[in-house]
Amino acid sequence: MHKFILPLLASVALAIALPAAAKDPKPLAGQSITVLMPSPQGPNIAADFEAETGIHVDLQTLSWDDIRPKLVTALVAGTAPADVTELDWSWTGQFSAAGWFLPLNDAIDADTMKDIGVAKIFTVDGKLLGVPYTNDFRVMLVNKKHFADAGVAEMPKKLDDLVAAAKKIKEKGIAKYPIGLPLSATEGASTSWYLLTKAFGGELFDKDFNPLFLSPDSAGYKALAFELMLLKEGLVDPASTGLKDSQINESMFSQGITSIMISGEPGRLGQMNDPKQSKVAGLVEAILVPTVSGQTRSFGLPEALAIPNVSQNKEAAIAFVKWFTSKDYQKKNAVNGALPTRTSALSELNESGKLNSGDALVAQSKTVEPLFLQGTPPWYPQFSSGVNTAINSAAKGQMTVDQAMQAIADAAKQAMSQ
Amino acid sequence: MTVFATNGPARKRGVGLNADATLGLLLVSPIIITMAALVFYPMGRTVWDSLHRVNPMQAGAPFVGLENYSRMLSDGQLGATWTNTLMYVLLAVVAETVFGILAATLINQIKVGRQWVLAAVILPWALPGVVNSVIWLWIYQPGAGLLNGILVAIGLPFENHVWFNDRTSAIIAVTVVHVWRMMPLTIVIVLAAMQSIPAHLYEAARIDGATRVQMFGLVTLPLIRSAIAVAMTNATVNAFNLFDEAWVLAGASLETRPVLVQIYLETFQNLRFSYGMALSVVITLVSLLISLVYVLRVYRNTRFD
Repeated sequence: MHKFILPLLASVALAIALPAAAKDPKPLAGQSITVLMPSPQGPNIAADFEAETGIHVDLQTLSWDDIRPKLVTALVAGTAPADVTELDWSWTGQFSAAGWFLPLNDAIDADTMKDIGVAKIFTVDGKLLGVPYTNDFRVMLVNKKHFADAGVAEMPKKLDDLVAAAKKIKEKGIAKYPIGLPLSATEGASTSWYLLTKAFGGELFDKDFNPLFLSPDSAGYKALAFELMLLKEGLVDPASTGLKDSQINESMFSQGITSIMISGEPGRLGQMNDPKQSKVAGLVEAILVPTVSGQTRSFGLPEALAIPNVSQNKEAAIAFVKWFTSKDYQKKNAVNGALPTRTSALSELNESGKLNSGDALVAQSKTVEPLFLQGTPPWYPQFSSGVNTAINSAAKGQMTVDQAMQAIADAAKQAMSQ
Repeated sequence: MTVFATNGPARKRGVGLNADATLGLLLVSPIIITMAALVFYPMGRTVWDSLHRVNPMQAGAPFVGLENYSRMLSDGQLGATWTNTLMYVLLAVVAETVFGILAATLINQIKVGRQWVLAAVILPWALPGVVNSVIWLWIYQPGAGLLNGILVAIGLPFENHVWFNDRTSAIIAVTVVHVWRMMPLTIVIVLAAMQSIPAHLYEAARIDGATRVQMFGLVTLPLIRSAIAVAMTNATVNAFNLFDEAWVLAGASLETRPVLVQIYLETFQNLRFSYGMALSVVITLVSLLISLVYVLRVYRNTRFD
């Protein structure tokens, strides 16, 4: 009998063990990839991913403005700046035309695509160039204590209320320059103007890409005039002409020097409410973007992870993209400032009360519009550079609003003619 | 003991009919190969590509002739950047030359510890341009910056003054940082020339009753003229190549943007590589032409035939 039982038991054990051994839970263990993302990122990304997959990650972070030149120089030379890189919404048109990134349609399943609605911003001609990992849009960040100390009980819903609140904060000596607004020749100055253009009830271009900001009664024109008024009234620091949005966030708002980030990033809420990184922890909240009409508006600036065509470690890179954009990790990563791009993750976080200013973020996310209804054009970077250069010059008194609007229109025309 | 010297022609050793020429070619070949690979080929390729449309967003690289060059005439921002660059060149060359000669003269007077003073003076030149610029960025900071702090301490109304909000002060601020970094080179070149002037010339001038100012004007300056020309050539080329200072201190701001930053933006932001190349060719030519003026002048002053 034993002659039969023992071999039978051994066979059963083998039958159970063999498929398990064949289905290695860490099939890519031992591989190494490089990942290039904007700072700041969570401190445990590399360790968590390696623990789960056995793939070693060399995570490099740079300020957002410095990533693009690094990508372009490497990709033009036919080398991979990293196996996984940042892909901002604003680069999609240009980088798609250059054909630098691997289409990820086959790597990402239909359910994920459905769950990540903003993925369509990164889809050009049916090709998914990046998987969105942070659901960036614009809200307004405020220092609640500054508002309370100034006796402002209700958060502003209209731009006039916002100015009135800022003036009260200034009058009480709570903040010398209550409003944080980047006016340097960097992307942050452009995005603030885009947001204010929406807040004034307008758009940048019509359906044929004709500029809609040249007339003095247009929203874009009023938006720049509004920014210059804030500067003239002493509500915005004159030194903002040399500051990036990240510098204003980190060295002013997080230090309690300013009270309002007019073009606030939801992703910064975690960092700003973290006592280790911020002097205003527990005092910061997001509010809906005030507008002229009182009906809030915003636009999306999601960021994605993409894989260069020239990456030598595509499989491991895809594994990282999938892991980083998975529902579980998105929920976990929210504390590091990356607002989930998955609708399911966002809802679950808000329901569990783990989302900073969750109600405001969920409410604002429902109002998010694309900046360009036609999709991000390939000439966007050149146009945006024209925008922030003109805003910077106007803020320094080197251009009038008229001249700045004309300079932006000229930059757009030149960019489109390329 | 008698020593016999052989006056006959030295026997040539080597390969081929003209061994001297072969040896000469062998000796210069490393530099010729290096220059050809790292300077002439890239330059030639840049000129050639500037006549094509090289843009990663567009397929192919068709020949477009002088289109990239003619486009410069209608580029509004380019005009502003050329104005800025020419202002940097003018201000930097004048400041580096005048203050460089004065500093070299002072250092030349030091008898004890000259090498330490020289080492300290050279330090800004030895530091990378970005490091220098970041240090000066802190100095110029509106709130806690050293410059405003000093001016306020002596009773001047410069509290929170933003130096880069005014075009003139911004251009000067960028130039100061560039001069701070590059002037040591002028000092070293001029100082080396000063130290090669024979002491007996000053002795003779002193006997003839010359004052120190006359000695400087009539002995020192004529004898260091060629060194000054070399230093000015360096200063000119470096001022045309100004990038780090403007970029770190004021980013892409149009009021301080030099042509090199414009080339960077056109190339790496707008991905118009061939236009960036055409701009590079033009700035190289302009820089060379202006430097040629000094070089030819030095050649005329130093030739003895």
